[in-house]
Amino acid sequence: MEPLLLTKRERRKLASQYAELCLTCGTCAGGCPVTGVDGLDVRKVVRLAVLGLDQEVVDSKFPWVCTLCGRCEYACPMNIDLLKLLRSARSMRDRDKVPGVLHKGVEMCLKTGNNVGIPEEDFRYLLEDLAAELAEELPGFEVPIDRKGAKYLFTINSKEPFAEPEDMMFWWRILYAANESWTVASKNWEGVNWGLFTGDDAAMKEIVGRIVQNYKELECEYLVLPE
Amino acid sequence: MKFVSIHDLLKQYLEEGRIKVDKSIHHELTTYHDPCNYARKSERAFGHGYYEEPRWVVQQCCEHFVDMYPNRANNYCCGAGGGAWASPYVEERIFYGRVKAKQIKDTGAKLLIAPCHNCRDQIMKSLRKEYDFMDVEVKYLWELVADSLIIEPREEAEEEE
Ligand code: SF4
Ligand code: SF4
Repeated sequence: MEPLLLTKRERRKLASQYAELCLTCGTCAGGCPVTGVDGLDVRKVVRLAVLGLDQEVVDSKFPWVCTLCGRCEYACPMNIDLLKLLRSARSMRDRDKVPGVLHKGVEMCLKTGNNVGIPEEDFRYLLEDLAAELAEELPGFEVPIDRKGAKYLFTINSKEPFAEPEDMMFWWRILYAANESWTVASKNWEGVNWGLFTGDDAAMKEIVGRIVQNYKELECEYLVLPE
Repeated sequence: MKFVSIHDLLKQYLEEGRIKVDKSIHHELTTYHDPCNYARKSERAFGHGYYEEPRWVVQQCCEHFVDMYPNRANNYCCGAGGGAWASPYVEERIFYGRVKAKQIKDTGAKLLIAPCHNCRDQIMKSLRKEYDFMDVEVKYLWELVADSLIIEPREEAEEEE
């Protein structure tokens, strides 16, 4: 085995200022369901980061099988920012090596306003069609698209219009029953920000910024936080 | 800029009587999954974890409620958070979910409420099958509320005024 030169530590990016405080107690790893997967666990990730072995963490699959659930961080007696560390490891991956469809979804969202690339006309048509169906049961029901001055602006999880459109009716029924003033934007309505998951801060900001722009242009009072 | 969470909104509608629900529709034993983002991570990031609001909403719609153990801030993730539902590491995602599956089965509940798309999909579409608890029904929190609604058609309501 090659001796580890601690000069590597000078170049480390992953370790936060708190990582040095780690007691190596293992409380974090003890309560994590993926401890041991890929030969790693969150305590070892902290060790690697402290030693400046950033690349080993970045190349491993651990930060991606970890769900960023935060249980480790919540339990850590030294209050080490483990989530930031794990998410940074995701950020440091080359974008073309981000596993699966996540980064493609981010690119799609930047390009089309939603993660699955549903065109605006199709989106409008779908909502109007479903609304008409629901109106047969609930007289007067409609989906207010781009309704200026509505009290609540809702975003939509693209999974629903894409694959489970009828599930949108749960909220619609509630909003009808409450006689609420609400709206959905015709553009940039995506409520799922995959930039958060891929560690892509720039994309995340851009996507959030577009929702804020909708909120302002439509003069809504509240933005309903997506799940 | 003002925000509102779906938990506060649902609770407010019920408290103010803007919507009415019928508990007797959901009489089976019901449990609730704390999603990481609304529970523990919200507590860390904003100083408030949504633990009690959704439980209150669930109990307005269900007659019998039981908590999983552990719960609230110490709850286990469903295994599909952080983008894992869309990631190619399927085997690891299912392996992760074994803890959640056991927690759910241990309650004996026949209805599980999840207020998060990811959690609901992981539990309903994957874990139920992999860990053999197809007899447990899974609903979104807002689905539960929608299914419990006593809706007065709008025209009637306007006539009354
Ligand atoms: S719980 Fe905190 S102090 Fe203990 S090993 Fe994990 S990171 Fe280090
Ligand atoms: S955030 Fe990741 S490492 Fe920490 S407990 Fe959750 S899955 Fe494990």
